Amino acid sequence: MTAANDVSSEPMLRSFRDPAGTVLRYHNRILRAVNPEGAADLEAFLSTRMAREAMESGSLVRSVRLLPNELPNLEFKTDYVLEHERVPFPNYPYEWPPEMLHAAGALTIGLARRALAEGFGLKDATPYNVLFRGPQPVFVDVLSFERREPLDAAWMAYAQFVRTFLLPLLANRSFGLPLDHILSGHRDGLEPETMYRWAGFWRRLAPQFLELVTLPTWLGRRRKDDASLYHSKPAASSEQAHFIVDGLLKSCERGLAAVAPGKSNADSTWSGYLDRKSIYTPAQLARKEAFVSAALAVAKPQTVLDVGANEGHFSFLAAKGGASVVAIDSDPVVAGSIWRQASRARLNVLPLVADFTRPTPAVGWRNQECASFLERARDGFDMVMMLGVVHHMLVTERIPLGDLLDLAGELTREYVLIEFVAPEDPMFQRIVRGREGLYSHLTNTGFEEAAGSCFDLETSVRIEGLYRWLYLFRRRRAKH
Amino acid sequence: MKNTKSQATVSVLTKALLLWLPLVLVSPSAAFGYADPGTGTFIYQAAYALFLGGAYYLRKLLNRVWGKRRQK
Repeated sequence: MTAANDVSSEPMLRSFRDPAGTVLRYHNRILRAVNPEGAADLEAFLSTRMAREAMESGSLVRSVRLLPNELPNLEFKTDYVLEHERVPFPNYPYEWPPEMLHAAGALTIGLARRALAEGFGLKDATPYNVLFRGPQPVFVDVLSFERREPLDAAWMAYAQFVRTFLLPLLANRSFGLPLDHILSGHRDGLEPETMYRWAGFWRRLAPQFLELVTLPTWLGRRRKDDASLYHSKPAASSEQAHFIVDGLLKSCERGLAAVAPGKSNADSTWSGYLDRKSIYTPAQLARKEAFVSAALAVAKPQTVLDVGANEGHFSFLAAKGGASVVAIDSDPVVAGSIWRQASRARLNVLPLVADFTRPTPAVGWRNQECASFLERARDGFDMVMMLGVVHHMLVTERIPLGDLLDLAGELTREYVLIEFVAPEDPMFQRIVRGREGLYSHLTNTGFEEAAGSCFDLETSVRIEGLYRWLYLFRRRRAKH
Repeated sequence: MKNTKSQATVSVLTKALLLWLPLVLVSPSAAFGYADPGTGTFIYQAAYALFLGGAYYLRKLLNRVWGKRRQK
């Protein structure tokens, strides 16, 4: 899969599903080689007012055609090559909280409606067409847009939109199924028949189920192998075709509104932690904030990874200081809460549902289509923050302390900010549950010694009244 | 008593899902193509398109009728 003349040791990933072209990564640049049959449509689409406005607002990936003398020496079979803006931290639908999948769906339909007005249609509608730049969804697959037949009154991607956006959100809302359980296993989402099996008799008759699940299941039972089904009759006029397809897109918008993740029922083990459930007094929290602020002022990181970010209190502190933050937490409710706040306040925080001790693996064909979380994160951040999370990894996941610190060292280019929670802490005791003997050796001095093997201590403080210490470490061999 | 009953219902549903979920996840997906238009979903879409096509003509007719009335 590497190009013949590529001298870099970095593996080059090529997309392969779309016959109109292929996307490849070359030396951290994202290039799209478009075949001659796809080039005319794409050029026409990028010239539309809608595409130009969307690129300006950032909702469509910024794309520039490379001149022949600007093309890298990669034996392209076409002279139509685009370079796309690089989204800082690629992210995938199975890492999104429901709020982000919903936003990606809203963006997809919004662009589809605007493109329809200019004579273009969407040939596929999958969440893999969207990446998030901070909290903002960006439509990246420009080749998904194609010129429409004016009298065509069908939208062939409707079923894919239902399977990959609406049904997973409905399953999440109705059954509490986490999105990663659905989207990790199935690239193309949930079939209506699957949802039909899960729903009881009465639920099958509920409005959203009736439209998206029950009726399609009943209608599809007898006509499964009928290929003539897909040759739909053209409309009588282009105006009528436009009316019909726009009506279908509007029904998708209504569907999205009906399955929107609710804020009122968002309560999980970790939601409301700092407000209601934490052990910090206001003075202790202020002390912690002051230390983190001072550390950020010293480190001045451009990029930050906040591990176990909870509701993003410290992610927002870093973002307000100008950093681009990736905030990970295994709880989708709190990740969703971070997204809502980041979106509202326009802060550069990308929340992802990920467990640091069991990070998302490489997925797809040959395990190369979607890179693992660690591959994307390696050497990716000026600072890694691990506040109030290390003790969970030590106790619940039994990750050895040395390995944990090693991994933090691999992900950061320079700084690591860690909160050490000692076994005497009430939260530690709550999770250790009778196995205290395993952690009797774990002291703050022992922690400092373990960290000393690959980090230099810059500054530290104990939070008074608690068995918690905050540390700012620097990698012994800082990378820039 | 009501809370206990609804909690029991949720518990049964959760258990049922946990039983079915692994079976569903290992079963082969029924989607066929690159952007499979689906079978039942496509028929539903076609039926909705028919309804919208009719609504389009009705709207045109109503606009024509109201337009003539305004002129009078």
